[in-house]
Amino acid sequence: MTEATWSHSGGGDCIRLTGLPAGADVHVFPGTAVAAGSLPPMAGRLERDGADLCFVPRFAFLDGTTYTVTVEGTRAAILVRPRPERPAATEVTGIRPTAAEVPVNLLRFYIWFSAPMSEGCAAGQVRLARDDGSIIAGALLPTEHELWDASRRRLTVLLDPARIKRGLPGHQEVGYPLRAGEPFRLVVGDGFRDARGLPLRVSAERRYEVGGEERRHVDPVSWELAVPPAGTCEPLRVTFGRPLDHGLLARCLHVRGPGGELVDGTAQIGPGEQSWQLVPSRAWASTVHQLVVEPVLEDLAGNSVSRVFDRDLARPEDQSRPARPVTIVFQPG
Amino acid sequence: MSEFGLEPGRVSLRSAGPITFGPAGILFLADNAAATVFAVDVADPGPAGGAEPFDLEDVDARVGSFLGCEPGDVVIKDMAVHPLSRNVYLSVQRGRGEAAQPVLIRISVADGAIDDVPLDEVSFAAVAIGDAPGEDDERLDSTLPLGDEGEEMQFGTFKIRVLRQPIRTATVTDMAYAGGALLIAGLSNEEFSSRLRRIPFPFTAGVTGSSLEIFHVSHGKWETAAPIRAFVPYDGGASILASYTCTPVVHFPLADLTDGAKAVGRTVAELGAVNQPLDMVSFVQDGEEYLLVANSAHGLVKIACRDIDSQPPLTEPQQPVGVPRETKDLQGIRRLANLGGSYVLALQSDDAGRLHLRSLKTASL
Repeated sequence: MTEATWSHSGGGDCIRLTGLPAGADVHVFPGTAVAAGSLPPMAGRLERDGADLCFVPRFAFLDGTTYTVTVEGTRAAILVRPRPERPAATEVTGIRPTAAEVPVNLLRFYIWFSAPMSEGCAAGQVRLARDDGSIIAGALLPTEHELWDASRRRLTVLLDPARIKRGLPGHQEVGYPLRAGEPFRLVVGDGFRDARGLPLRVSAERRYEVGGEERRHVDPVSWELAVPPAGTCEPLRVTFGRPLDHGLLARCLHVRGPGGELVDGTAQIGPGEQSWQLVPSRAWASTVHQLVVEPVLEDLAGNSVSRVFDRDLARPEDQSRPARPVTIVFQPG
Repeated sequence: MSEFGLEPGRVSLRSAGPITFGPAGILFLADNAAATVFAVDVADPGPAGGAEPFDLEDVDARVGSFLGCEPGDVVIKDMAVHPLSRNVYLSVQRGRGEAAQPVLIRISVADGAIDDVPLDEVSFAAVAIGDAPGEDDERLDSTLPLGDEGEEMQFGTFKIRVLRQPIRTATVTDMAYAGGALLIAGLSNEEFSSRLRRIPFPFTAGVTGSSLEIFHVSHGKWETAAPIRAFVPYDGGASILASYTCTPVVHFPLADLTDGAKAVGRTVAELGAVNQPLDMVSFVQDGEEYLLVANSAHGLVKIACRDIDSQPPLTEPQQPVGVPRETKDLQGIRRLANLGGSYVLALQSDDAGRLHLRSLKTASL
């Protein structure tokens, strides 16, 4: 009679088998539907440990997976790898943009989670819904490649660009994913799994109104600057006149001093991604400073400082601008 | 392999991504989590392959069984065929979340046997490919690591280990070797760009290659840029055909990819609405070169290279939609690779979501 149990051998997990004759033909398969010869056995090696035989896998046993042990081609034991019981604790900590109204050609969302997440859930758990609860089908870009930051806590979600770009079949045949004047919600289902395989503690959503098209360059020259008094640590405040992309805002704005040195301080993105401020760590000097804007900075519709999302060749004002930083000069008074 | 700058050592793969073969049977592996491409001598054991077709049913279940997991825990990220032995290589993620493990699988074309390619003692070279955070981009996301990753930091009277990782990342969507260089297409998780990176191979320390944005014109009215989803070199590597996330198929000469120049490709076809290109491959039939495009919604599209060269830029937004093409009623094809000679190998999903390797006879395509 063969007995199989979870055990350890040489510092790793194994399946310990007792009561086997020497030289027995032992294999392990994931699952229970093991048809002889149809699938390769699980990679691993058999080690003798006293009177026992240990199956040490080359790839670690997976929690929640069932394993079948065969001896001489016959099923001898079935073991289930236990899944640790833990409460769901991960949640959505932010959905960007936070602007109340987005353009009808909105391109991108960012979803922040409180813990690292698993890949492979976005297509099934992130959706756009109307106020009546119906799903806006085909709005989001279906992609095999989920766009995570390195720590797997921020997910970038794109609306289907083929439906936003003019002249493409997607836009011409199906139209924008959104409709001007028709509010919608971005919904993150609680079935989204964190890196430990657990669902979210609670689902999350953010509601938006939908405005008209936004097809203009991001134009830093039109921004309003509230210049702080010299000798203080009052913030430099910049107001954009329209919401900009949260992810890019966090890295595309800098302030440089008269010698070109970066002004150190605490930067903050304002409500609705419509403004930005920098509180310097040392008082402003009464000299010329520069607000430096990187050319890749985009608005919510993917228009950047250097180019519009799709350029109408008949409109000279849509022509691409130099892909170099734009500087705005100011002097604390 | 020293002539290619490969040195023996351990490839610490953090994630499974696109793969493609380069010169002398060297396999390029993209590791998106590590923002690195590895060039690995896979030391393929097989003899030179024949010309027979190769089919394998339930490849996800077979690979899963070998890896000790259910088919649902096998994510096949990419497929490549060794140019000499014709053995099939799969870039596989086994498990999900913190249990996820990247594995390079080799399937013998002789008998369908499955094995993994150990990467702990191989000849390899590596190059960083991330849109490296700029010198001014200090954004790092701090988390508490589960293992011994990260750095130890002092907080008052106690120390904790903190892992700080970049927020801005680039995800490789496709790679190809042409003209002595590795070409890499990718998606940024922030800006919407169409960058194609060209890294000379052998890799040279400190050289991360050139990167430029390729624009294309839709119907003579709109100039636009978008991430390249899949691309294929043809005409001996002189030309590139790229398909975009927003479905135009665009041609550009490889010679156009020079630093500092604005590259504008020629839109030669549209793949249709609510559809994503998934993979592309070139093959020769009756002495002529053809391209196959696998799509998420439409069937397999076959295009003759000579038609691409003679196709004027698309100027009409309505039908017809560009270069002549035949659409084969083959659904569910996710990846393509040239099996050499008379066959193209397809990774095909059936209605139940199970994956199979199927040889498509080029003479019948």
